[in-house]
Amino acid sequence: MKSGGVVMPMLRMPPPHGGRLVDRVVKNKNRAEKIAAGCPRFELKATLDPKGVPIRHVYREIMSICYGFFSPLEGSMVRDELERVLKERRLLSEWIFPFPILFDVSEDDYKALGVKEGDRLLLTLKGQPFATLDIEEIYRIDPKDVAVRTFGTPEKNPEVVRQPFDDKHPGYLIYRCHQPVIFAGKYTIINEPKFKEPYDRFWFPPAKCRDVIKNVKKWRTVIAHQTRNVPHVGHEMLMKCAAFTGDIEPCSGILVNAIIGAKRRGDYPDEAILEGHEAVNKYGYIKPERHMVTMTLWDMRYGNPIESLLHGIIRQNLGCTHHMFGRDHAAVGEYYDMYATQILWSKGIPSFGFDAPPHEVDYGLKILPQNMGEFWYCPKCGEIAYSETCGHSKERQKFSGSFIRGLVSEGIFPPNVIFRPEVYKVIVKWWKVYGYPFVNNKYLKLKAQELEVDVPKLELPKG
Amino acid sequence: MPHYIGVIIDDKRMEKIKGTPLEREIKDMFGGALKMIAVPVPEDKSKEILKAFDKARIDSRGYIEDIPIALRRAVFEEMVKNKSLNIIDKVLARLPEIQEAAKKEDEFIPPPEVE
Repeated sequence: MKSGGVVMPMLRMPPPHGGRLVDRVVKNKNRAEKIAAGCPRFELKATLDPKGVPIRHVYREIMSICYGFFSPLEGSMVRDELERVLKERRLLSEWIFPFPILFDVSEDDYKALGVKEGDRLLLTLKGQPFATLDIEEIYRIDPKDVAVRTFGTPEKNPEVVRQPFDDKHPGYLIYRCHQPVIFAGKYTIINEPKFKEPYDRFWFPPAKCRDVIKNVKKWRTVIAHQTRNVPHVGHEMLMKCAAFTGDIEPCSGILVNAIIGAKRRGDYPDEAILEGHEAVNKYGYIKPERHMVTMTLWDMRYGNPIESLLHGIIRQNLGCTHHMFGRDHAAVGEYYDMYATQILWSKGIPSFGFDAPPHEVDYGLKILPQNMGEFWYCPKCGEIAYSETCGHSKERQKFSGSFIRGLVSEGIFPPNVIFRPEVYKVIVKWWKVYGYPFVNNKYLKLKAQELEVDVPKLELPKG
Repeated sequence: MPHYIGVIIDDKRMEKIKGTPLEREIKDMFGGALKMIAVPVPEDKSKEILKAFDKARIDSRGYIEDIPIALRRAVFEEMVKNKSLNIIDKVLARLPEIQEAAKKEDEFIPPPEVE
Protein backbone atom coordinates (compact mmCIF):
# COMPACT_ATOMS: atom_id res chain seq x y z
CA MET A 1 0.00 0.00 0.00
CA LYS A 2 1.80 3.14 -1.17
CA SER A 3 1.00 6.76 -0.58
CA GLY A 4 3.35 9.38 -2.02
CA GLY A 5 6.15 6.84 -2.05
CA VAL A 6 5.72 6.01 1.66
CA VAL A 7 4.76 2.46 2.50
CA MET A 8 2.26 2.01 5.30
CA PRO A 9 3.69 -1.04 7.06
CA MET A 10 1.41 -3.71 8.48
CA LEU A 11 2.62 -4.10 12.04
CA ARG A 12 3.29 -7.47 13.63
CA MET A 13 3.96 -8.50 17.21
CA PRO A 14 7.43 -7.20 18.14
CA PRO A 15 10.13 -9.57 19.38
CA PRO A 16 10.80 -9.60 23.13
CA HIS A 17 13.13 -6.89 24.40
CA GLY A 18 16.65 -8.29 24.06
CA GLY A 19 15.56 -10.86 21.47
CA ARG A 20 14.24 -13.69 23.63
CA LEU A 21 11.99 -14.11 26.61
CA VAL A 22 13.73 -14.97 29.84
CA ASP A 23 12.37 -18.17 31.36
CA ARG A 24 14.02 -19.03 34.65
CA VAL A 25 11.29 -21.19 36.15
CA VAL A 26 12.17 -24.82 36.83
CA LYS A 27 9.06 -26.95 36.64
CA ASN A 28 10.69 -30.36 37.07
CA LYS A 29 10.70 -31.23 40.78
CA ASN A 30 13.78 -33.49 40.59
CA ARG A 31 15.76 -30.79 38.84
CA ALA A 32 14.57 -28.21 41.35
CA GLU A 33 15.67 -30.42 44.24
CA LYS A 34 19.10 -30.87 42.70
CA ILE A 35 19.52 -27.13 42.16
CA ALA A 36 18.59 -26.16 45.72
CA ALA A 37 19.77 -29.07 47.85
CA GLY A 38 22.12 -28.09 50.65
CA CYS A 39 22.04 -24.34 49.97
CA PRO A 40 21.95 -21.87 52.85
CA ARG A 41 18.41 -20.52 53.27
CA PHE A 42 17.21 -16.95 53.43
CA GLU A 43 13.59 -16.00 54.10
CA LEU A 44 12.49 -13.12 51.88
CA LYS A 45 11.03 -10.14 53.68
CA ALA A 46 9.41 -6.83 52.88
CA THR A 47 11.37 -3.58 52.65
CA LEU A 48 10.04 -1.29 55.37
CA ASP A 49 9.83 2.50 55.46
CA PRO A 50 11.21 4.35 58.52
CA LYS A 51 7.83 3.94 60.26
CA GLY A 52 7.87 0.17 59.71
CA VAL A 53 5.30 0.15 56.89
CA PRO A 54 6.02 -2.34 54.05
CA ILE A 55 6.74 -0.57 50.77
CA ARG A 56 8.30 -3.33 48.65
CA HIS A 57 8.70 -7.10 48.53
CA VAL A 58 11.61 -8.43 46.48
CA TYR A 59 9.64 -11.59 45.63
CA ARG A 60 7.70 -9.48 43.11
CA GLU A 61 10.91 -8.56 41.30
CA ILE A 62 12.04 -12.21 41.29
CA MET A 63 8.72 -13.27 39.77
CA SER A 64 8.82 -10.57 37.10
CA ILE A 65 12.38 -11.46 36.15
CA CYS A 66 12.03 -15.24 36.08
CA TYR A 67 8.74 -15.22 34.12
CA GLY A 68 10.23 -12.87 31.53
CA PHE A 69 8.36 -9.61 32.18
CA PHE A 70 11.71 -7.80 32.60
CA SER A 71 13.51 -9.64 29.74
CA PRO A 72 16.41 -9.56 29.08
CA LEU A 73 17.22 -9.01 32.77
CA GLU A 74 17.97 -12.29 34.57
CA GLY A 75 18.72 -11.28 38.12
CA SER A 76 20.07 -8.78 40.63
CA MET A 77 22.50 -6.37 38.97
CA VAL A 78 26.29 -6.48 39.40
CA ARG A 79 27.92 -3.21 40.41
CA ASP A 80 29.01 -2.27 36.87
CA GLU A 81 25.52 -2.89 35.58
CA LEU A 82 23.98 -0.79 38.36
CA GLU A 83 26.31 2.07 37.44
CA ARG A 84 25.48 1.72 33.73
CA VAL A 85 21.75 1.77 34.46
CA LEU A 86 22.07 4.85 36.64
CA LYS A 87 24.18 6.68 34.06
CA GLU A 88 22.70 5.55 30.74
CA ARG A 89 19.67 3.38 31.53
CA ARG A 90 21.27 0.43 29.78
CA LEU A 91 22.32 -3.06 30.82
CA LEU A 92 25.87 -4.27 30.20
CA SER A 93 24.43 -6.09 27.17
CA GLU A 94 23.47 -2.63 25.78
CA TRP A 95 19.72 -3.16 26.00
CA ILE A 96 17.73 -0.34 27.56
CA PHE A 97 16.70 -0.87 31.18
CA PRO A 98 15.57 1.93 33.49
CA PHE A 99 15.72 0.90 37.14
CA PRO A 100 18.27 -0.63 39.50
CA ILE A 101 17.10 -4.14 40.34
CA LEU A 102 18.93 -5.31 43.43
CA PHE A 103 18.83 -8.11 45.98
CA ASP A 104 19.65 -6.23 49.16
CA VAL A 105 20.38 -7.59 52.62
CA SER A 106 21.37 -5.97 55.90
CA GLU A 107 24.89 -6.21 57.32
CA ASP A 108 23.51 -8.46 60.09
CA ASP A 109 21.86 -10.85 57.63
CA TYR A 110 25.05 -10.91 55.53
CA LYS A 111 27.10 -11.80 58.56
CA ALA A 112 24.63 -14.45 59.70
CA LEU A 113 24.47 -16.06 56.25
CA GLY A 114 28.24 -16.23 55.83
CA VAL A 115 27.94 -16.58 52.04
CA LYS A 116 30.54 -15.57 49.48
CA GLU A 117 30.71 -14.95 45.76
CA GLY A 118 30.14 -18.21 43.86
CA ASP A 119 27.69 -19.56 46.46
CA ARG A 120 24.09 -20.43 45.76
CA LEU A 121 21.45 -19.11 48.14
CA LEU A 122 18.04 -20.70 48.61
CA LEU A 123 15.37 -18.02 48.92
CA THR A 124 12.30 -19.05 50.86
CA LEU A 125 8.92 -17.37 50.80
CA LYS A 126 6.30 -17.95 53.48
CA GLY A 127 8.71 -20.54 54.85
CA GLN A 128 8.84 -22.64 51.68
CA PRO A 129 11.62 -22.98 49.10
CA PHE A 130 10.86 -20.50 46.32
CA ALA A 131 13.93 -19.55 44.27
CA THR A 132 17.69 -19.59 44.18
CA LEU A 133 20.19 -16.79 43.72
CA ASP A 134 23.60 -17.66 42.26
CA ILE A 135 25.80 -15.06 43.90
CA GLU A 136 28.14 -13.63 41.30
CA GLU A 137 29.21 -10.53 43.20
CA ILE A 138 28.74 -9.03 46.65
CA TYR A 139 29.07 -5.27 47.03
CA ARG A 140 27.75 -2.35 49.01
CA ILE A 141 25.65 0.62 47.98
CA ASP A 142 24.75 3.94 49.52
CA PRO A 143 20.95 3.61 49.27
CA LYS A 144 20.39 7.38 49.30
CA ASP A 145 22.82 7.86 46.42
CA VAL A 146 21.06 5.12 44.42
CA ALA A 147 17.68 6.73 45.19
CA VAL A 148 18.78 10.18 44.05
CA ARG A 149 20.45 8.94 40.87
CA THR A 150 17.55 6.66 39.96
CA PHE A 151 15.08 9.51 39.65
CA GLY A 152 17.41 12.39 38.76
CA THR A 153 17.82 15.93 40.07
CA PRO A 154 16.79 19.38 38.79
CA GLU A 155 20.49 20.19 38.26
CA LYS A 156 21.48 17.05 36.36
CA ASN A 157 18.19 16.42 34.55
CA PRO A 158 16.85 19.94 33.96
CA GLU A 159 14.78 18.86 30.95
CA VAL A 160 12.18 17.13 33.14
CA VAL A 161 13.02 17.10 36.88
CA ARG A 162 11.28 20.02 38.56
CA GLN A 163 12.04 19.51 42.25
CA PRO A 164 14.43 17.35 44.30
CA PHE A 165 13.11 13.94 45.27
CA ASP A 166 12.50 13.27 48.94
CA ASP A 167 10.95 10.73 51.28
CA LYS A 168 7.43 11.80 50.27
CA HIS A 169 8.06 10.19 46.88
CA PRO A 170 7.19 6.46 47.22
CA GLY A 171 9.74 5.26 44.64
CA TYR A 172 12.56 7.32 46.08
CA LEU A 173 11.67 5.94 49.51
CA ILE A 174 11.88 2.36 48.23
CA TYR A 175 15.49 2.81 47.09
CA ARG A 176 16.39 4.94 50.12
CA CYS A 177 15.20 2.07 52.34
CA HIS A 178 17.18 -0.63 50.50
CA GLN A 179 19.66 -2.51 52.67
CA PRO A 180 23.32 -1.69 51.98
CA VAL A 181 24.70 -5.13 50.99
CA ILE A 182 23.89 -6.33 47.49
CA PHE A 183 24.03 -9.93 46.30
CA ALA A 184 24.19 -9.82 42.50
CA GLY A 185 23.42 -12.79 40.28
CA LYS A 186 20.75 -14.76 38.47
CA TYR A 187 17.52 -15.90 40.07
CA THR A 188 15.84 -19.23 39.34
CA ILE A 189 12.36 -20.09 40.60
CA ILE A 190 12.36 -23.71 41.76
CA ASN A 191 8.90 -23.90 43.30
CA GLU A 192 6.17 -22.07 41.41
CA PRO A 193 3.88 -20.04 43.66
CA LYS A 194 0.13 -20.39 43.22
CA PHE A 195 -1.84 -17.19 42.74
CA LYS A 196 -4.81 -16.55 44.95
CA GLU A 197 -8.13 -15.17 43.79
CA PRO A 198 -8.65 -12.78 42.12
CA TYR A 199 -5.02 -12.53 40.94
CA ASP A 200 -5.06 -15.99 39.32
CA ARG A 201 -7.49 -14.74 36.63
CA PHE A 202 -5.11 -12.00 35.52
CA TRP A 203 -1.75 -13.79 35.57
CA PHE A 204 -0.53 -13.96 31.99
CA PRO A 205 3.28 -14.15 31.93
CA PRO A 206 4.77 -12.97 28.62
CA ALA A 207 5.01 -16.37 26.89
CA LYS A 208 1.39 -17.17 27.78
CA CYS A 209 0.19 -13.65 26.97
CA ARG A 210 1.81 -13.74 23.53
CA ASP A 211 0.17 -17.10 22.89
CA VAL A 212 -3.27 -15.80 23.95
CA ILE A 213 -2.90 -12.68 21.79
CA LYS A 214 -1.87 -14.69 18.72
CA ASN A 215 -3.96 -17.82 19.02
CA VAL A 216 -6.96 -17.07 21.21
CA LYS A 217 -7.70 -13.39 20.71
CA LYS A 218 -6.14 -13.42 17.22
CA TRP A 219 -5.07 -9.80 17.58
CA ARG A 220 -2.49 -8.48 15.11
CA THR A 221 -1.94 -5.12 16.80
CA VAL A 222 -2.37 -4.45 20.52
CA ILE A 223 -2.18 -1.21 22.46
CA ALA A 224 -1.12 -1.43 26.10
CA HIS A 225 -2.84 0.52 28.85
CA GLN A 226 -0.81 1.04 32.02
CA THR A 227 -2.89 1.17 35.17
CA ARG A 228 -2.59 1.63 38.90
CA ASN A 229 -6.18 2.81 39.13
CA VAL A 230 -9.75 1.65 39.17
CA PRO A 231 -10.90 2.96 35.77
CA HIS A 232 -13.16 5.99 35.73
CA VAL A 233 -14.87 6.97 32.51
CA GLY A 234 -11.94 9.23 31.58
CA HIS A 235 -9.65 6.18 31.62
CA GLU A 236 -12.20 4.25 29.59
CA MET A 237 -12.28 7.00 26.96
CA LEU A 238 -8.48 7.09 26.90
CA MET A 239 -8.43 3.36 26.14
CA LYS A 240 -11.16 3.61 23.52
CA CYS A 241 -9.64 6.58 21.71
CA ALA A 242 -5.99 5.51 21.93
CA ALA A 243 -7.00 2.19 20.41
CA PHE A 244 -7.85 4.00 17.17
CA THR A 245 -4.10 4.06 16.68
CA GLY A 246 -2.83 1.16 14.64
CA ASP A 247 -1.59 0.90 11.08
CA ILE A 248 -4.09 0.41 8.26
CA GLU A 249 -6.80 -0.04 10.88
CA PRO A 250 -7.23 0.63 14.62
CA CYS A 251 -5.51 -1.72 17.05
CA SER A 252 -7.19 -5.11 17.24
CA GLY A 253 -6.88 -5.27 21.01
CA ILE A 254 -6.40 -3.29 24.21
CA LEU A 255 -4.20 -4.97 26.80
CA VAL A 256 -4.67 -3.54 30.28
CA ASN A 257 -1.65 -4.33 32.42
CA ALA A 258 -2.10 -3.46 36.08
CA ILE A 259 0.88 -2.96 38.34
CA ILE A 260 0.33 -5.09 41.42
CA GLY A 261 2.31 -4.49 44.59
CA ALA A 262 2.76 -1.98 47.38
CA LYS A 263 1.35 1.38 46.37
CA ARG A 264 1.09 4.81 47.86
CA ARG A 265 -1.60 5.52 50.40
CA GLY A 266 -4.70 6.81 48.61
CA ASP A 267 -4.39 4.53 45.58
CA TYR A 268 -6.99 1.78 45.26
CA PRO A 269 -6.46 -1.80 46.52
CA ASP A 270 -5.01 -4.09 43.86
CA GLU A 271 -8.03 -6.39 43.85
CA ALA A 272 -10.34 -3.45 43.06
CA ILE A 273 -8.03 -2.25 40.27
CA LEU A 274 -8.07 -5.65 38.54
CA GLU A 275 -11.76 -6.36 38.97
CA GLY A 276 -12.66 -2.75 38.13
CA HIS A 277 -10.95 -3.08 34.75
CA GLU A 278 -12.48 -6.52 34.30
CA ALA A 279 -15.93 -4.93 34.83
CA VAL A 280 -15.27 -2.63 31.87
CA ASN A 281 -15.24 -5.62 29.53
CA LYS A 282 -17.59 -7.87 31.52
CA TYR A 283 -20.37 -5.30 31.20
CA GLY A 284 -19.60 -4.43 27.60
CA TYR A 285 -18.23 -0.89 27.89
CA ILE A 286 -15.37 -2.29 25.82
CA LYS A 287 -16.26 -5.72 24.57
CA PRO A 288 -14.10 -8.60 25.85
CA GLU A 289 -13.19 -9.58 22.30
CA ARG A 290 -11.17 -6.36 22.20
CA HIS A 291 -10.08 -5.94 25.82
CA MET A 292 -8.07 -8.09 28.19
CA VAL A 293 -6.88 -7.44 31.74
CA THR A 294 -3.47 -8.68 32.93
CA MET A 295 -1.05 -7.81 35.68
CA THR A 296 2.64 -7.41 36.49
CA LEU A 297 4.11 -7.82 39.97
CA TRP A 298 6.10 -4.69 40.80
CA ASP A 299 6.19 -2.25 43.65
CA MET A 300 5.59 0.84 41.61
CA ARG A 301 8.34 3.47 41.71
CA TYR A 302 6.15 6.30 40.34
CA GLY A 303 9.08 7.29 38.14
CA ASN A 304 7.14 9.00 35.31
CA PRO A 305 9.59 8.89 32.30
CA ILE A 306 11.83 6.28 33.96
CA GLU A 307 8.81 4.15 34.82
CA SER A 308 7.51 4.51 31.25
CA LEU A 309 10.63 2.73 29.99
CA LEU A 310 9.90 -0.23 32.22
CA HIS A 311 6.30 -0.16 31.04
CA GLY A 312 7.49 -0.22 27.44
CA ILE A 313 9.73 -3.22 28.17
CA ILE A 314 7.04 -5.17 30.02
CA ARG A 315 4.32 -4.54 27.43
CA GLN A 316 6.64 -5.29 24.48
CA ASN A 317 7.50 -8.56 26.21
CA LEU A 318 3.78 -9.22 26.63
CA GLY A 319 3.39 -8.83 22.86
CA CYS A 320 1.97 -5.32 22.44
CA THR A 321 2.68 -3.23 19.35
CA HIS A 322 1.74 0.14 20.94
CA HIS A 323 1.70 1.78 24.35
CA MET A 324 -0.51 4.69 25.34
CA PHE A 325 1.11 7.38 27.48
CA GLY A 326 -0.99 10.10 29.07
CA ARG A 327 -0.13 13.26 30.95
CA ASP A 328 1.59 12.64 34.33
CA HIS A 329 2.25 9.03 33.38
CA ALA A 330 3.01 6.92 36.47
CA ALA A 331 3.58 10.12 38.41
CA VAL A 332 2.99 11.37 41.88
CA GLY A 333 3.43 14.96 43.06
CA GLU A 334 5.20 17.54 40.96
CA TYR A 335 8.73 16.11 40.89
CA TYR A 336 8.72 15.73 37.11
CA ASP A 337 7.33 17.87 34.32
CA MET A 338 3.79 16.62 33.74
CA TYR A 339 4.75 15.80 30.15
CA ALA A 340 8.11 14.14 31.01
CA THR A 341 7.09 10.75 29.63
CA GLN A 342 5.81 12.27 26.40
CA ILE A 343 9.01 14.33 26.05
CA LEU A 344 11.01 11.09 26.40
CA TRP A 345 8.94 9.26 23.80
CA SER A 346 8.82 12.14 21.33
CA LYS A 347 12.34 13.57 21.39
CA GLY A 348 14.31 11.81 24.14
CA ILE A 349 15.89 13.11 27.35
CA PRO A 350 19.67 13.40 26.81
CA SER A 351 20.54 13.71 30.50
CA PHE A 352 18.95 10.29 31.08
CA GLY A 353 20.92 8.77 28.17
CA PHE A 354 18.36 9.31 25.40
CA ASP A 355 19.32 11.64 22.57
CA ALA A 356 16.34 10.18 20.70
CA PRO A 357 13.15 8.43 21.83
CA PRO A 358 13.63 4.92 23.25
CA HIS A 359 12.11 3.29 20.15
CA GLU A 360 14.55 5.08 17.83
CA VAL A 361 17.87 4.14 19.46
CA ASP A 362 20.05 1.04 19.08
CA TYR A 363 19.15 -1.74 21.50
CA GLY A 364 15.97 0.20 22.17
CA LEU A 365 12.35 -0.77 22.25
CA LYS A 366 10.19 -1.86 19.33
CA ILE A 367 6.90 -0.94 20.94
CA LEU A 368 5.47 2.30 19.53
CA PRO A 369 4.32 5.16 21.75
CA GLN A 370 0.94 6.80 21.49
CA ASN A 371 1.16 10.04 23.46
CA MET A 372 -2.31 11.15 24.45
CA GLY A 373 -3.73 14.42 25.75
CA GLU A 374 -6.46 14.62 28.38
CA PHE A 375 -10.09 13.67 28.55
CA TRP A 376 -12.58 15.87 30.36
CA TYR A 377 -16.30 16.38 30.55
CA CYS A 378 -17.40 19.31 28.38
CA PRO A 379 -20.85 20.64 29.36
CA LYS A 380 -21.07 22.54 26.08
CA CYS A 381 -20.33 19.50 23.91
CA GLY A 382 -22.37 17.42 26.35
CA GLU A 383 -19.85 14.61 26.22
CA ILE A 384 -16.46 13.39 27.32
CA ALA A 385 -14.13 15.44 25.15
CA TYR A 386 -10.49 15.17 24.10
CA SER A 387 -8.31 18.11 25.11
CA GLU A 388 -6.78 18.49 21.65
CA THR A 389 -10.21 18.53 20.00
CA CYS A 390 -12.60 20.34 22.33
CA GLY A 391 -12.53 24.13 22.05
CA HIS A 392 -14.28 24.80 25.36
CA SER A 393 -11.34 24.58 27.71
CA LYS A 394 -12.87 27.21 30.04
CA GLU A 395 -15.94 25.08 30.63
CA ARG A 396 -14.05 21.78 31.00
CA GLN A 397 -14.67 19.59 34.04
CA LYS A 398 -11.66 17.41 34.69
CA PHE A 399 -11.62 13.87 36.03
CA SER A 400 -9.54 14.97 38.99
CA GLY A 401 -8.34 11.85 40.81
CA SER A 402 -8.47 13.61 44.16
CA PHE A 403 -11.99 14.92 43.49
CA ILE A 404 -13.14 11.40 42.68
CA ARG A 405 -11.43 10.02 45.80
CA GLY A 406 -13.36 12.61 47.83
CA LEU A 407 -16.60 11.54 46.21
CA VAL A 408 -15.90 7.88 46.89
CA SER A 409 -14.91 8.35 50.53
CA GLU A 410 -18.10 10.31 51.22
CA GLY A 411 -20.00 7.24 50.05
CA ILE A 412 -21.79 9.10 47.25
CA PHE A 413 -22.80 6.82 44.38
CA PRO A 414 -20.95 8.44 41.45
CA PRO A 415 -22.88 9.23 38.29
CA ASN A 416 -22.46 7.06 35.21
CA VAL A 417 -20.40 9.78 33.58
CA ILE A 418 -17.68 9.37 36.26
CA PHE A 419 -17.75 5.67 37.18
CA ARG A 420 -19.70 2.90 35.52
CA PRO A 421 -22.00 1.53 38.26
CA GLU A 422 -20.52 -1.95 37.94
CA VAL A 423 -17.02 -0.54 38.40
CA TYR A 424 -18.07 1.46 41.46
CA LYS A 425 -19.65 -1.68 42.95
CA VAL A 426 -16.24 -3.37 42.68
CA ILE A 427 -14.74 -0.54 44.76
CA VAL A 428 -17.45 -1.05 47.38
CA LYS A 429 -16.95 -4.85 47.32
CA TRP A 430 -13.28 -4.50 48.34
CA TRP A 431 -14.06 -1.56 50.64
CA LYS A 432 -16.24 -3.95 52.65
CA VAL A 433 -13.40 -6.48 52.79
CA TYR A 434 -10.76 -4.03 54.03
CA GLY A 435 -12.96 -1.45 55.80
CA TYR A 436 -11.39 1.20 53.61
CA PRO A 437 -11.73 2.16 49.94
CA PHE A 438 -8.05 2.99 49.43
CA VAL A 439 -4.58 1.75 50.26
CA ASN A 440 -3.70 2.57 53.87
CA ASN A 441 -1.02 1.31 56.28
CA LYS A 442 -3.27 -1.53 57.45
CA TYR A 443 -3.73 -2.75 53.87
CA LEU A 444 0.01 -2.52 53.14
CA LYS A 445 0.85 -4.55 56.24
CA LEU A 446 -1.76 -7.18 55.47
CA LYS A 447 -0.64 -7.40 51.85
CA ALA A 448 3.01 -7.84 52.81
CA GLN A 449 2.00 -10.70 55.07
CA GLU A 450 -0.48 -12.43 52.79
CA LEU A 451 1.06 -11.59 49.37
CA GLU A 452 -0.69 -12.41 46.10
CA VAL A 453 0.50 -16.02 46.20
CA ASP A 454 0.84 -19.10 48.31
CA VAL A 455 3.91 -21.29 47.97
CA PRO A 456 3.40 -25.06 47.79
CA LYS A 457 5.15 -27.22 50.37
CA LEU A 458 8.47 -28.55 49.07
CA GLU A 459 10.79 -30.83 51.04
CA LEU A 460 14.38 -30.58 49.88
CA PRO A 461 16.98 -33.30 50.46
CA LYS A 462 19.78 -32.15 52.73
CA GLY A 463 22.92 -31.44 50.68
CA MET B 1 -6.65 34.14 44.59
CA PRO B 2 -9.00 32.09 46.77
CA HIS B 3 -9.03 28.33 46.69
CA TYR B 4 -12.22 26.32 47.09
CA ILE B 5 -13.63 23.40 49.01
CA GLY B 6 -16.22 21.60 46.90
CA VAL B 7 -19.21 20.19 48.76
CA ILE B 8 -21.25 17.71 46.77
CA ILE B 9 -24.96 18.24 47.23
CA ASP B 10 -26.79 14.93 47.19
CA ASP B 11 -30.52 14.50 47.87
CA LYS B 12 -30.10 14.50 51.66
CA ARG B 13 -28.07 17.68 51.67
CA MET B 14 -30.44 19.30 49.17
CA GLU B 15 -33.27 18.86 51.69
CA LYS B 16 -31.29 20.89 54.23
CA ILE B 17 -30.62 23.87 51.99
CA LYS B 18 -33.88 24.01 50.07
CA GLY B 19 -35.37 27.51 50.15
CA THR B 20 -32.21 29.12 51.60
CA PRO B 21 -29.87 31.50 49.72
CA LEU B 22 -27.46 28.58 49.45
CA GLU B 23 -29.66 26.99 46.80
CA ARG B 24 -28.58 29.72 44.38
CA GLU B 25 -24.93 28.73 44.86
CA ILE B 26 -25.41 25.23 43.49
CA LYS B 27 -23.45 24.48 40.35
CA ASP B 28 -24.04 21.65 37.93
CA MET B 29 -21.17 19.29 37.28
CA PHE B 30 -20.85 16.65 34.62
CA GLY B 31 -23.93 17.76 32.75
CA GLY B 32 -26.03 18.02 35.89
CA ALA B 33 -25.18 14.49 37.03
CA LEU B 34 -23.66 16.01 40.18
CA LYS B 35 -24.44 19.19 42.06
CA MET B 36 -21.86 21.07 44.06
CA ILE B 37 -21.33 24.21 46.09
CA ALA B 38 -17.85 25.71 45.90
CA VAL B 39 -16.94 27.33 49.21
CA PRO B 40 -14.25 29.99 48.76
CA VAL B 41 -11.22 29.72 51.05
CA PRO B 42 -8.89 32.74 51.26
CA GLU B 43 -5.25 31.85 50.57
CA ASP B 44 -4.04 32.31 54.15
CA LYS B 45 -6.81 29.99 55.39
CA SER B 46 -6.09 27.37 52.76
CA LYS B 47 -2.48 27.35 54.02
CA GLU B 48 -3.85 26.62 57.49
CA ILE B 49 -5.85 23.71 56.10
CA LEU B 50 -2.86 22.28 54.20
CA LYS B 51 -0.81 22.52 57.40
CA ALA B 52 -3.47 20.81 59.49
CA PHE B 53 -3.97 17.85 57.11
CA ASP B 54 -0.77 16.47 55.56
CA LYS B 55 -2.51 14.69 52.65
CA ALA B 56 -4.46 17.80 51.60
CA ARG B 57 -3.42 19.42 48.33
CA ILE B 58 -4.57 22.02 45.85
CA ASP B 59 -5.54 20.38 42.58
CA SER B 60 -5.19 21.83 39.11
CA ARG B 61 -8.66 23.41 39.38
CA GLY B 62 -7.68 25.32 42.54
CA TYR B 63 -9.78 23.09 44.79
CA ILE B 64 -8.47 21.82 48.12
CA GLU B 65 -8.71 18.05 47.81
CA ASP B 66 -7.65 14.92 49.67
CA ILE B 67 -9.16 16.41 52.82
CA PRO B 68 -10.89 14.38 55.53
CA ILE B 69 -14.58 13.65 55.22
CA ALA B 70 -14.95 15.26 58.65
CA LEU B 71 -13.72 18.58 57.27
CA ARG B 72 -16.11 18.51 54.35
CA ARG B 73 -18.98 17.62 56.70
CA ALA B 74 -18.05 20.50 58.99
CA VAL B 75 -18.03 22.88 56.01
CA PHE B 76 -21.55 21.77 55.08
CA GLU B 77 -22.82 21.98 58.68
CA GLU B 78 -21.52 25.53 59.08
CA MET B 79 -22.97 26.49 55.70
CA VAL B 80 -26.40 25.28 56.78
CA LYS B 81 -26.15 26.84 60.23
CA ASN B 82 -25.10 30.25 58.89
CA LYS B 83 -26.92 30.12 55.52
CA SER B 84 -23.77 31.57 54.01
CA LEU B 85 -20.54 30.54 52.30
CA ASN B 86 -18.49 32.88 54.45
CA ILE B 87 -17.87 30.23 57.08
CA ILE B 88 -14.24 29.15 56.86
CA ASP B 89 -13.27 30.89 60.13
CA LYS B 90 -16.03 29.00 61.91
CA VAL B 91 -14.81 25.73 60.39
CA LEU B 92 -11.23 26.44 61.41
CA ALA B 93 -12.40 27.11 64.97
CA ARG B 94 -13.48 23.45 65.02
CA LEU B 95 -10.08 22.16 63.82
CA PRO B 96 -9.13 20.07 66.91
CA GLU B 97 -12.43 18.19 66.77
CA ILE B 98 -12.08 17.68 62.98
CA GLN B 99 -8.46 16.49 63.31
CA GLU B 100 -9.50 13.97 65.94
CA ALA B 101 -12.22 12.57 63.65
CA ALA B 102 -9.79 12.57 60.71
CA LYS B 103 -7.35 10.30 62.57
CA LYS B 104 -10.00 7.60 62.74
CA GLU B 105 -10.62 7.98 58.98
CA ASP B 106 -7.08 6.73 58.26
CA GLU B 107 -8.07 3.30 59.56
CA PHE B 108 -11.75 2.88 58.78
CA ILE B 109 -14.43 4.50 56.63
CA PRO B 110 -17.83 2.81 56.74
CA PRO B 111 -18.69 1.43 53.31
CA PRO B 112 -21.94 2.56 51.73
CA GLU B 113 -24.78 0.14 51.20
CA VAL B 114 -25.21 -0.39 47.48
CA GLU B 115 -27.33 -3.02 45.76
